[in-house]
Amino acid sequence: MAWAKETSAVSTDFDRIFHPERIAVVGVSADNPFSFGSLIFKALVSIQYEGRLYPVNPKGGTFGDFDVYKSIEEIPKTIDLAIVSVTAPLVAETIEACRLKGAAGVEIISAGFKETGEPAGIALEEEIKKIARKGIRVIGPNCFGIYCPKSGLTMAPGPDFSRESGPVAFLSQSGGMSVDFAQMGLWMGIRFSKIVSFGNGADLRETELLEYLGNDPETKVITMYIEGVDDGKKFFTTLRDVAARKPVIVYKGGLSEAGNRAVTSHTASMGGSRIIWDSLLRQCNAIQVHGLQEMAQASLAFSLLPQRVYNGITVAGGGGALGVSACDAAEAFNLEIPTLENDIVEEILSVLPRPGSSATNPIDAANPFVAPGAIKSTLISAAKDPRVELQILVQLLYHFKSIATLSGAPSLRQVIPYKKMADAVKETVNITNKPVIIVLPNLKQELESMEIEEVTREARALFLGKGIPVLDSLNDALTAISHVSNYYKNR
Amino acid sequence: MKIIEDSLQRGAGTLSEYESKLFLAEFGIPVTREKIVTAKNDAVAAAEEIGYPVVLKGSGDELSHKTELDIIALDLRDENDVRTAYAKITSHKDVSVKEVLVQQMIKGERELVVGLTRDAQFGPCVMFGLGGIFTEILEDVAFRVAPLTKEDAMDMMDSIRGKKILDAVRSKPPVDREVLADMLIAIGEIGLTHDRVKEIDINPLKILDGKPIAVDALIVLDKE
Repeated sequence: MAWAKETSAVSTDFDRIFHPERIAVVGVSADNPFSFGSLIFKALVSIQYEGRLYPVNPKGGTFGDFDVYKSIEEIPKTIDLAIVSVTAPLVAETIEACRLKGAAGVEIISAGFKETGEPAGIALEEEIKKIARKGIRVIGPNCFGIYCPKSGLTMAPGPDFSRESGPVAFLSQSGGMSVDFAQMGLWMGIRFSKIVSFGNGADLRETELLEYLGNDPETKVITMYIEGVDDGKKFFTTLRDVAARKPVIVYKGGLSEAGNRAVTSHTASMGGSRIIWDSLLRQCNAIQVHGLQEMAQASLAFSLLPQRVYNGITVAGGGGALGVSACDAAEAFNLEIPTLENDIVEEILSVLPRPGSSATNPIDAANPFVAPGAIKSTLISAAKDPRVELQILVQLLYHFKSIATLSGAPSLRQVIPYKKMADAVKETVNITNKPVIIVLPNLKQELESMEIEEVTREARALFLGKGIPVLDSLNDALTAISHVSNYYKNR
Repeated sequence: MKIIEDSLQRGAGTLSEYESKLFLAEFGIPVTREKIVTAKNDAVAAAEEIGYPVVLKGSGDELSHKTELDIIALDLRDENDVRTAYAKITSHKDVSVKEVLVQQMIKGERELVVGLTRDAQFGPCVMFGLGGIFTEILEDVAFRVAPLTKEDAMDMMDSIRGKKILDAVRSKPPVDREVLADMLIAIGEIGLTHDRVKEIDINPLKILDGKPIAVDALIVLDKE
């Protein structure tokens, strides 16, 4: 199982794999526009990949505006990367041809290998490993491959992925989750450096890719979805090493205990895979999350918040039961909501509606319709307390629906000053030098109120456009902050 | 290690409590003062050498559940107590007890557990947590993959819910965390350097004047 030894003779040209200038797509078919090969080729064209694309199919002909090459050999000069989607029995000879053509790497999208559990599939995967050892790096098989916005490399279901590069990398055994995360990133405001779906991981997989991303200057935050690891000890030392330099967020799938193990001691009987994984992640100071949502929210916080430990925060907003629940929740995350000094409280109360407001922190602005200017003054005043290191502003946009209805306004957009809100928050951050997280819950989701959903999405995009993180609930915000804070506390 | 080789040669899957502690003491792990005897008079002599009160336990490869078998006598305060207990343990109706362990009685109220297991993926892992009967009832334990750094060992003690057990409680001094950390690191080292040691249980590990001391220990061997 020691890939490190087997492949150490081959120096891997990761740059040609992630930023290829010449890509062969094997398995493009004019007869079958919905084959994986056809879809991935179209996705590359649609995302406006700037390099040279070479569709390959033994039948030749044309595919869209492209001439189809009958074989890898026919392609002029060399290739950097090949994306292979042919039936499993043809994969080995195809990747051998790619190797001889000078490709640094190959993505094998095809399935029908080890994952089948059948001897034939397992044997075919062994063939792939043998060729890989001769000097070509393999992603897959049974994967969706690589998405790299900077180079324009994308996955089959990713013709509309963002071309904007960002700090977050994702490594995943699951192709579906790679696509889901990329899609969520579009609206949540997460931008990626690289996403790698490595499927069965016959050659390149979690540990070696983690090591690569640890040294990759484009990547500042690493996220991983792991079902199993190939070489546990090497993974442990690599994770520990990389997490000491960059945050590594891990979602470990499949933690339920498999059967009874034959053990004699209490220690062994209690040391099941779940507790060992939990312990290992803590030992490495990796950030453990328990779902894709939590992983995405943590990624956003690591992308946009100043990287440091957070202790004291304010929670401000109007029209909700912020008070007690916010304090209870914060305590569970080791965050403090300090009671603000008297002079600061007076300053805040001078701008908020009276009576009804409370400014001790949590800051309750009495109603959700407080003008952006007053919100700005409030946050600027609160930030004067040296214990306040971050502020959360809860904006209940859905309450504006009743104002619109009562005032007979033709559109919700006319009554919600959300552009002014975004400007006010951005100015607050600039003046106070303390980050603000916006919480935008939408608890009014009935069909008749679709406009609220639209406005909420527009508001989210506005805030994100100014580099202000937005989350759906106070609990999500506190969780994300605590992941950032705990990482730097333990580093 | 000779203790391990000898045990494997005679086909034993575990070391006895006495052998387990001899082995652990080699790595600087503090253990109870104790002696194996095979005669009543020797038991009395051993008790006087160790100092009263003492504990008597039936000993042997296959006698790892002494409490359930009722071959254990606690808090023996004089020669008479030792003679009575020795006679009772060696005349057990179901098991043949040929050796008896005479052991220093530790009255620590705090019971911890320290152990070693081998994870199929990550190799030797050290466990720390609440000991005695609470090990199984509360399952308040933490693991770390070996080798452990000093920070790992310290963080591990803070990882259990009942970590206050290590503080000063009811006029007892706090547990010496430095000594405990060295112990956790040493258990990890055993895992890395001794392939034949498959699992270790030190349970209970008691606290005497703030210092941890192994009161019972079990080493499971890899016979393969």
